[in-house]
Amino acid sequence: MSTTDIGPKGPGHQAGEAAIDYVDDRTGAKTGLTWFLKRNIPSETSWFQTLGFAAMAVFGLQAVTGIILAMYYKPDPTTAYASIQHITNGVTWGWLVRGMHKWGASAMIILVFLHMARVFIFGSYKYPRELTWVTGSLILVMTMFMGLTGYLLVWDQKAYWATVVAMNITASAPVIGPYIADIMRGGTNFNSDTLSRFYAIHMLVIPGGIATFIGLHLFLVSKLGISEPPWSKRASRARRAEEAAARSAARERQPQGRREVSVETAPQTVTSEGGQ
Amino acid sequence: MNRAQHEAYKRDYAQAKKEGKPFFPYAIYKDHIVAILVFACIIGMAIWQRSFVGPPVYTATSTFEPRPEWYFFFLFQLLKIFKNQNVLEPVIMATFIVPNLLMVLLVATPFIDRSPERRISKRPFALSVGILVFAGMAWLTYQGFAGAAPISSTGVTFTGITPGSAAAAGETIFQTSGCTSCHMVKGVGGTVGPNLTNVGTLGRQATYAGKLPVAVPGVTGPLYKGVDWFVLHTEVPTVDPGSAMPPFDNFTALQYQQLGTFLNGLGVTYK
Repeated sequence: MSTTDIGPKGPGHQAGEAAIDYVDDRTGAKTGLTWFLKRNIPSETSWFQTLGFAAMAVFGLQAVTGIILAMYYKPDPTTAYASIQHITNGVTWGWLVRGMHKWGASAMIILVFLHMARVFIFGSYKYPRELTWVTGSLILVMTMFMGLTGYLLVWDQKAYWATVVAMNITASAPVIGPYIADIMRGGTNFNSDTLSRFYAIHMLVIPGGIATFIGLHLFLVSKLGISEPPWSKRASRARRAEEAAARSAARERQPQGRREVSVETAPQTVTSEGGQ
Repeated sequence: MNRAQHEAYKRDYAQAKKEGKPFFPYAIYKDHIVAILVFACIIGMAIWQRSFVGPPVYTATSTFEPRPEWYFFFLFQLLKIFKNQNVLEPVIMATFIVPNLLMVLLVATPFIDRSPERRISKRPFALSVGILVFAGMAWLTYQGFAGAAPISSTGVTFTGITPGSAAAAGETIFQTSGCTSCHMVKGVGGTVGPNLTNVGTLGRQATYAGKLPVAVPGVTGPLYKGVDWFVLHTEVPTVDPGSAMPPFDNFTALQYQQLGTFLNGLGVTYK
């Protein structure tokens, strides 16, 4: 503790510390948070390594704007269109929230893809982060499905027919295609339940999946650590040192390398090293 | 990577961490700067490009242009490459094989590329595959944007159609029902669906045991050929395996007959 830790603590301070200790004793929250926040990361991280956080932040923004939209949206074929019009033209700031949700979707797709490109270029998906990549790629696929299911909810001509075609494409897949399409549509054709089904998938099923996988992804990222850019100064220094060591070892192996080491003493050195 | 390389990486990373700095605040502040910039962009776009509502859904109409959101353009464009026009370009490539292959490759990347090298300059194969996939998707997305021009077939005339005949009525239905949003005839129209200029010459047939949604007198199964096939396909597009066409079940029995007559003669009598 620093120099401010002098003299008796005030009752407020004491109560605060007691409360923190109470919670930490029962949950380990303080320990966990310290582990999460105070863990060391390599000193040279790139600005490109902020894209994952940005994507997650946009997911949070989508959740907030989505909740606000859900307060006004009516997932029924007869009222959906009117409720969208009400949000756009009637509700205070409704047009802004809807616009942010719409542009946020595009932003999230772009950020997820850029984040993936960064991980690919940095080779960060390699040992020990293979499973971090797998969880991330599942988040990418789920994000695309978010876009697909959200598109229909506007319930205008463009949204409706694009989704009809998308569902027909799904149904054309061999063996399981028709079943998946039937589950998505709630029947063999577009019907009055299709919209509410898409709504439930869009706001309950996929967000739940994405949130779960973001949790796993984050846990793995904090456990395994942020990867170091492969061209960082420290890594290059370590690589050079390793190469120099390898070179000198190779030189040692050459007959002219260390003339003074006699054949008799060499095995002795090995046994003494092995015994340590 | 073998066990020794795993150990070497762990040792190296432990050293990097030891020489590093705490996540809070050194990484968190960068993250927040970028996130705030992104939020600013989103709010800026929401204000600059106000979202409006298109025309309401009118399921009885067929004038529509099925266009997904821009981030599906690359898949959508695949449909235009693999159009089921011949065996080498089956539509299933676009609807199933390519998208799923991409998805499997995406998930499997770390298990395919297991070399310890992380510098992109020393990974020419990974770099070229990455650039190829990225450039391909970017190009297809661009094509999707470029093909956004509205499509109308008015002005295309056909020879060999007697005025007042069933085929003439069929032509009117074809021109006014939005068929050319997806299908091209005589160089005009969309490229989502197959080109129909010579569709009458292809001799399509199918067996279908079910009942037609709208019964058309004289058109009965189970084998549908010629005009009957076109009636069946318009009502139940899935008789053509891999078809992504929406079912058109809003015409009258007579209109199906007329449309079928016109389509069956396309490229044969009506050119």
